[in-house]
Amino acid sequence: MNRAKTTNLLFQLTTFGAAILIVILIVGMLLTLLHESWPAVRRFGFFDFLLGRRWNYADNLYGAFRPLAGTVISTALALAAAVPVALGTALFLTELCPHRLRGIIGAAIELLAAIPSIIYGMWGLFALAPFLENHFQPLAAAGPGRLPLIGSFFQSQYAGGVNLFTASMVLAIMILPFITSITREAFKQVPPILKESSYGVGATRWETIWQVVLPCTKSTVAGGVIIAMGRALGETMAVAYVIGNRHGALDSIFSPYSTITSVMANEFNEAAGLQMSSLFTLALMLLAANFLVLSLAKYLLRPRI
Amino acid sequence: MDLMTVDKLNFFYGRHQALKSVNLPIRKNAITSLIGPSGCGKTTLLRCFNRMHDLYPGNRYEGRISLRDQNILSGDIDLISLRSRLGMVFQKPTPFPMSVFDNIAYGLRLRKVKNKNALAERVEKALKQAALWDEVKDRLGDNAAGLSGGQQQRLVIARTLAVEPEVILFDESTSALDPISTQKIEELMVELKKEVTIVAVTHNMQQAARVSDYTALMYLGELMEYGDTKSIFTRPKHKMTEEYVSGRFG
Ligand SMILES: Nc1ncnc2c1ncn2[C@@H]1O[C@H](COP(=O)(O)OP(=O)(O)OP(=O)(O)O)[C@@H](O)[C@H]1O
Ligand SMILES: [Mg+2]
Repeated sequence: MNRAKTTNLLFQLTTFGAAILIVILIVGMLLTLLHESWPAVRRFGFFDFLLGRRWNYADNLYGAFRPLAGTVISTALALAAAVPVALGTALFLTELCPHRLRGIIGAAIELLAAIPSIIYGMWGLFALAPFLENHFQPLAAAGPGRLPLIGSFFQSQYAGGVNLFTASMVLAIMILPFITSITREAFKQVPPILKESSYGVGATRWETIWQVVLPCTKSTVAGGVIIAMGRALGETMAVAYVIGNRHGALDSIFSPYSTITSVMANEFNEAAGLQMSSLFTLALMLLAANFLVLSLAKYLLRPRI
Repeated sequence: MDLMTVDKLNFFYGRHQALKSVNLPIRKNAITSLIGPSGCGKTTLLRCFNRMHDLYPGNRYEGRISLRDQNILSGDIDLISLRSRLGMVFQKPTPFPMSVFDNIAYGLRLRKVKNKNALAERVEKALKQAALWDEVKDRLGDNAAGLSGGQQQRLVIARTLAVEPEVILFDESTSALDPISTQKIEELMVELKKEVTIVAVTHNMQQAARVSDYTALMYLGELMEYGDTKSIFTRPKHKMTEEYVSGRFG
């Protein structure tokens, strides 16, 4: 064998090894999760665990319902707050913004994406939580808080501003740059002559954006929103700082609550036995949810010719 | 009769002057073609007519373009209504991401035509004018992206016609089409000039000779020669015009 052949073979083997390593890691991780979660699933049954509304160390009974609800609600609130702002920003940057300002705002958005999540958590705890408690919660209590039946969901019984709503808003700020940059790219791809055709039959800028730009980009925008959703589902440190980690029933969006990730971050250190196994089952659920969400995003963002 | 007159028009992309003192009449119910080598300013001139340049910063006009004695370059012109008086068809078809029907109804709905029957009537009329009705009448609800390139281009023409423009501006609108589709659009242009005035940019000398009544040759941002098509092609005044129309130049 000559030297060229040897190096070639060596190169093939190392790259193949690297690729195989990734597969082994994923399979290994999945096996660990399955193995560790088995005791809890065997003890409670999968569906009883999924829908169980207790998380009780004294009786050693665990169910995923409340943290799961916390994850779903905080993600939904975060998306509800972030999507309009992100779309507005992206539209402003592509369609309306003067050139000079565009660079500054664009850089600010990229910076927002570069901030580590623990910093969001600290800022959320020390700045956003008191701000929302003092300025937003009274408004909510005076507005939707007066409604019959659902009013109490907007009243706060806990002081400190550490609650499900604050966690959702921190999440919203964290996912904002992702949605903004993906949708901005999508808006940039709309051919100018398509927009000009709309102006050409007498449309205003707003009508053109609403009826041509948005429909053209809807699947990319949806893909961006879903990627952001995946991030919000899995975000841990920032949420653990500001959600309050309470296992009680959800009586208000301004009450402390928990999410899958906050429970895992808070209890993993001291957990053992069935509690530990239950945490692993939560982890497995999170993984499954994230996998589904990312597949959906991949499908929506698939390259099209 | 002249529907439009271009009078000492200068146009600037920022500092770059793309049109230099252009004078040109546009005759009513006729086809005027704009020809000239690449980069000479044909598209730029066409886009002055419906003030499309105003969408982008830094562009500037000097001089005058009159449409029925109104200076459309003046600052107080309502651009939204001006643009629907001068419809535009681009090089590539630009169907909107919606059904065939909704594409045609687009401009009408913007004008608050809400009545279903009125809308359906005007969509049908526009599609018939654009010689597309027979091909799409059974698939009005289908997405317009499913039509062929030639059909899409006629769809765009129909969409423009639906809002009853006075002028239609064509910018190399057949250059991306096959010969049969091109021929259909050419026949359509000749048919349409009974009702509208047409200005068409083309690189295809045969097309200019076949369909247009008047021809303007541009060169480096200036208007070199203008006249009725026959004399431009048979007895041009300038040597350059002769070389250009006979294909020896550009
Ligand atoms: N958006 C723009 N900004 C700056 N300069 C431009 C812009 N568009 C065109 N130009 C310049 O203006 C001149 C005229 O361009 P225009 O597009 O009108 O030419 P054209 O005759 O339509 O050419 P073609 O036959 O290739 O389409 C060219 O020198 C071109 O580089
Ligand atoms: Mg051009």
